[in-house]
Amino acid sequence: MSALLDPAVDLALAGYRGYLKVFAASPLAERLSPPAPVRRTGFDLEVTVAERTLPCPDVVALILRRPDGSDLPAWTPGAHLDVVLPSGAQRSYSLCGDPADLSSYRIAVRRVPDDLGGGGGSAEVHEAIAAGDRLTVRGPRNAFWMVPETSHLFVAAGIGITPILPMVARAEAAGASWRLVYLGRDRATMPFLDELATYGERVVVRTDDQHGIPAAADILDLGRAPDGTLPAAVHLCGPPALIDAARALIRPLAPHSRLYSERFSAPPVRGGAPFTATLARSGRTVEVGADESLLAALRREVPGIAYSCQQGFCGTCRLRVLDGEVEHRDTLLLPEERAESVLTCLSRGRGPLVLDA
Amino acid sequence: MPSEPSKAYDDEALAIQARDMDFCWDDVPLHYIPGRMVATHVYNCMHLLLPEGEKAMSAALAQALPLIEDPRLKEEVVGFIGQEATHADSHGGVLERLVELGLDARPVLGRLDQLLTVIMGDVADERIRHQLLCERLALFSALEHYTAVWGKFFLESEGLSGSGIHPMVLDLLKWHGAEEVEHRSVVFDAYQHVDGSHARRVRMGVLGSAALAAAGFLTLGYLVAKDPARTATRNPWKRYVAPVAEFVGATRDGVIPNMLGFLTEIPVYVRPDFHPSQLPGMELAVRYLAEAPIRHHDAAAAS
Repeated sequence: MSALLDPAVDLALAGYRGYLKVFAASPLAERLSPPAPVRRTGFDLEVTVAERTLPCPDVVALILRRPDGSDLPAWTPGAHLDVVLPSGAQRSYSLCGDPADLSSYRIAVRRVPDDLGGGGGSAEVHEAIAAGDRLTVRGPRNAFWMVPETSHLFVAAGIGITPILPMVARAEAAGASWRLVYLGRDRATMPFLDELATYGERVVVRTDDQHGIPAAADILDLGRAPDGTLPAAVHLCGPPALIDAARALIRPLAPHSRLYSERFSAPPVRGGAPFTATLARSGRTVEVGADESLLAALRREVPGIAYSCQQGFCGTCRLRVLDGEVEHRDTLLLPEERAESVLTCLSRGRGPLVLDA
Repeated sequence: MPSEPSKAYDDEALAIQARDMDFCWDDVPLHYIPGRMVATHVYNCMHLLLPEGEKAMSAALAQALPLIEDPRLKEEVVGFIGQEATHADSHGGVLERLVELGLDARPVLGRLDQLLTVIMGDVADERIRHQLLCERLALFSALEHYTAVWGKFFLESEGLSGSGIHPMVLDLLKWHGAEEVEHRSVVFDAYQHVDGSHARRVRMGVLGSAALAAAGFLTLGYLVAKDPARTATRNPWKRYVAPVAEFVGATRDGVIPNMLGFLTEIPVYVRPDFHPSQLPGMELAVRYLAEAPIRHHDAAAAS
């Protein structure tokens, strides 16, 4: 770098090597750094289904408690729980009870027919879980954090009401000015209308049968204060199209409002063909359906398989390809990496694949 | 191994996941904070040192992963690795851009590579390998303390946001800062899980601070020395005194973090009962991430 500094850098590097000789490589290392590991437990919880109710015909609500009745971990609005279903499949559901009451959790699940993209998980919750059953859950985990502001607009579409319910309660308790726009097909399919009735006019219900399919601009308009401004925070839980439309609108419309939306799962697979993937280490073969990702299929066989973003940019789910041709659908891997790897969350096989897993 | 009784979690986990960002350096000028050559280079130090440093950090965390049984920590470490990988990519464009603008910083990266070779160096002996991994985690845990402190600064400093800084670079700093605040506890918790020695944490708190300060100031000195605007003048005042005055002024105006933090943060970090979750800034991070220019893919709703 420069004549004067180069020797100083060399000296520092030598010093670091010397440090590691003493503190890592010498027989004294353990005595110089007595280990005191901190191990935590309790992310996986055993719970009992204390109550099972039907707030509306195709929504089931479950109250979960610890078998010994002790307190569950604390949570804040927006948190969700992973539920291991009797079949072993795992699904995430928002907590929709009272965060101040740690003796129980409440989740609510709408039955999504298979032909509408349901993976069978919601049907299983409806059919295979009864009051008194034991379940394993993991969490709670929060990916939809609520920062309290002085003014809020909440938008919930259908079962998207679940994370919004505790948010509304929190805004009300904090004395914030808020409004909830609750969208649904018709009132009979919308759960928790009775609980929301206590809030009076702050809750605006818009149903498709009365008002038609809502436009994002109209929904945001409903959240305006008397002076025409939009609240500081807009929390939206609903279908991807509504989230996208609201996101496109909000920046030009209300530069001082922030839009928070729930982003839970992987994008839908478009134009995929079925193929098989063989796991070289176990010799097992996985059938990958036309409308599911390779990762989703692998997760059925290898529950602990590493993945994170499910959208093709973190690279965590990358696997080595031992044989077969890959249809790369990501933009992450470098050309030389594409020759031997596959990003399982997005990319697919053009025929059978053999993977190093 | 003397182990503290394991304590059950009594709070929620924060989901840590990578976000897709797209930063283009093509129209970024040499001094992207107008009129502030030195402050610009303070941020260039970060853009230059972070990518390789964060890749090494991800590699160290990947080495620790098999030693972590706690599913919550495991999940956080996987999310951390994904975030750090996208950080490294986003800063990567600066090196080429600086070369285009007449400032060749490649020698700095050569030196950084040597340092990382020492930090990441391994041996066959299993006992020593484990000790080396513990040292590495302790070092990176100390460095993550600074990224969390600076991350909060990027998010809230009016001096920085009002400096006229190129908007892409400001978004890059704020997004990176927000994710650093978001995952501030992960390396610390991984270190505590794998080793947890307080003596080692104190040593690396001091040594890591000194090493980061030295690496930062050497890089800053190099960039300022080679800056085409500075080398164009022969006036000794402009060449040697003005940059120092500019550094002091940028600190005073809140355009760059106060580097006295390399001293004042050490007593905070080495306290036996310290945990990164005590650091403020999470609400700032969540607010910024709601308005950040994230490439949103087809999102799907809960339940």
